[in-house]
Amino acid sequence: MKLEGSFPVSAPRPVVWEAIRDPGLMAQCVPGCEMAEQIDDTSYRARVLVKFGPISARFNLVIEIEQEIALEEVRSRARGEEGTRASTVSSTNILTLSEPEPGTTLVAWSTDFSISGRLGKYGMGLMRKKVESLSAEFVKAFAARLEESAA
Amino acid sequence: MSFVVAPQTVDEAIAFLAANPDARPMAGGASLVAMKNARLIEASHFVSLARIEALRGIGPSAAGGLRIGGMMHHRQIAECADLTGGWQMLRQAAGLIANRVVRNMGTIGGAIANADPAADYLPVLACAGAEVELVGPDGLRRLAVADYLVDWYETALEPGEIVTAIELPAGGDGPSVYRKLARTPGDYATVSVACAREGAGPDSSVRVAVGACGPAPIRDRDAEAALAGRLHDPAAIAAFCATLAEQADPIDDVRGSAAYRLKLIPRMVAAAIRDVTGDR
Repeated sequence: MKLEGSFPVSAPRPVVWEAIRDPGLMAQCVPGCEMAEQIDDTSYRARVLVKFGPISARFNLVIEIEQEIALEEVRSRARGEEGTRASTVSSTNILTLSEPEPGTTLVAWSTDFSISGRLGKYGMGLMRKKVESLSAEFVKAFAARLEESAA
Repeated sequence: MSFVVAPQTVDEAIAFLAANPDARPMAGGASLVAMKNARLIEASHFVSLARIEALRGIGPSAAGGLRIGGMMHHRQIAECADLTGGWQMLRQAAGLIANRVVRNMGTIGGAIANADPAADYLPVLACAGAEVELVGPDGLRRLAVADYLVDWYETALEPGEIVTAIELPAGGDGPSVYRKLARTPGDYATVSVACAREGAGPDSSVRVAVGACGPAPIRDRDAEAALAGRLHDPAAIAAFCATLAEQADPIDDVRGSAAYRLKLIPRMVAAAIRDVTGDR
């Protein structure tokens, strides 16, 4: 399933660039993220709790940076599984930054992701709505964090 | 491995849930047990609410309306002779849920806790202006359906809280109807509409809620007010239907595409209004 979006942040591009590469800050903004840490130069580990109706699924994710152009673009791949259960997620992601006017950064993202196992029960139509509401939550938290540190 | 416990009072159930964070409340179990057997969910304990006498019964509420215990089965609601006039739609909705086995097993409290957007009670309760009563470690609270539903399958229920009752305001005498379009009898709704008439004279109005087309039923009180007194005016009805369809946020799924649902809304809403006005 492919999804994309973009949102502006009232902060200069280098500040946003540093923020998206800071696992501690990202962990505070990603809904349900319980832990995030850097493994080496290009890989990260994270644990994310996804709740959907009566189902709570805790995914252990590995995120690998495949390519990055400083201040402009990050291409990454994430995959993860839910403990011993047969639930898996995987995604390829592209994030680009631009500064349409000084002091405002436009963050554009796109992802191609798949999910199987327990959460697959709900079908892609509903999953799309869930991803949309989670990303809206992230955008709100991320923009708030950056604007607060810029102020 | 999980255990079933069956407390006799609401207080005991709440205390047990508070002491066991991995326990889950279980109402009729019609959906929950199927989900457990499919290994979609797990729990240290299932706290059955079946033996709690206070969660049963249908009778007058303190506010002058009707109170329905959370553990009332769909069959009991479908057969309740008190549900007439403005409450008739609730009876119809209960009788259209799934099949006889599920109606004997499932409960209104459980259905509301599960909050499937395509399930039958939610649009009826939104149309009736009902309140959901929740009890948890912090006490009792009553929420309107619109405040109770937070997002897709997400409710205001906090951990350790249970649905104890539904309260309907005094229903009015006007007729009410629940219309459900489903692929086959017993399926979840592709689109559903609950509609109740207020008053009988030339300035009478309708309350309308659309189900299965978003995370919560769609109801627009301003549009209802604009339609008051114009229930036989096809142009006014068409405008009302279009306003509701604009607020829908349906999904594509096995029951139909989002685009198909958007086409169904105006037809079903108009038909439901004709049902309560007697126009054909």
